[in-house]
Amino acid sequence: MGDQDTSAYWRRLLELDKPLDPQVLNKYRYWQRILRPLFYAIINIPLRFYCPVKVYGLENLPAKPPYIIAPNHASSMDYASVAWATGKRHQELYPITTKLFYDNAWARFWIKVAANVVRIDSIEDFFPALRAAAQILRAGKAVYINPEGTRSTDGRILPFRPGVGVLAVETGVPLVPVYISGTWQVLPTGWIFPRPHPVYVSFGKPIEMDTYIEKKKTNQAYDIYREVTEVLRERIIALSR
Amino acid sequence: MNDEKLAQEIKTLVSKVIKIPEDKIDANANLFAELGVDSLLGVEIIASLDKQYDLDVPEEKLKNINTLNDIIGLVKEFLSKKK
Repeated sequence: MGDQDTSAYWRRLLELDKPLDPQVLNKYRYWQRILRPLFYAIINIPLRFYCPVKVYGLENLPAKPPYIIAPNHASSMDYASVAWATGKRHQELYPITTKLFYDNAWARFWIKVAANVVRIDSIEDFFPALRAAAQILRAGKAVYINPEGTRSTDGRILPFRPGVGVLAVETGVPLVPVYISGTWQVLPTGWIFPRPHPVYVSFGKPIEMDTYIEKKKTNQAYDIYREVTEVLRERIIALSR
Repeated sequence: MNDEKLAQEIKTLVSKVIKIPEDKIDANANLFAELGVDSLLGVEIIASLDKQYDLDVPEEKLKNINTLNDIIGLVKEFLSKKK
């Protein structure tokens, strides 16, 4: 079965063996970052009272990056909730977003103020997304990625796409399961104005990749990526109970 | 290796990767729409062929693959480039 190890091809697609661009993080250092502390100080006030964020298991976050934060996705407010939950450590998070959120100049400006967004053209064209994420991880930062690929329309967890498994196994960084609830009630798909409701963010224990990297040597890589993705989904569902 | 033998070898490999018996794979069936192959498993097929035949298939070629016949054509194209 050892002949099934196709890692070399996947690594080539992810450009993991190419030298890292030393300027990779500078791409995400917008001048708007000066406004970031002000932004979080301002939104902290309504967040605290209007939709207070309750945080569980923050001690499970690895002591330092790189790692992948992979929460369920029910609302446009999910990233803000996780960023708020991680406190000052939100600075090490790099969320992957599609250009869908960039149509409006005003929204674009504030998204860049709020986060180190990594922009990709389409979630369907997954290799640019995975390559961008891999570069961020190799530069020693954390990637925030929604494995469902899209927001749930009814708050229930959708099937996960295995791209997150590819990224975790091939970069070897831990995968942190996160369950977010309440954001769908605050800001479901199609809503513009948030409604008052508490938000809960639960961090699970990181899924370490050593076992899966070892298993990949004697199994089809795709099966291992799928397995990691399913383990992640099960861990998130377990956090929801 | 003649074309027929190569096509059979590729079919065997694809069948092993997607875990569908060879006799259930129609060479013109859409692997994604008709055989339930997802996009990453599609990449895994090419990754396996790349390893088997040392092809060096670039990412942009993956978008043109829909059927077993497309895969056979792709392998032939890259093998002929190597000659």
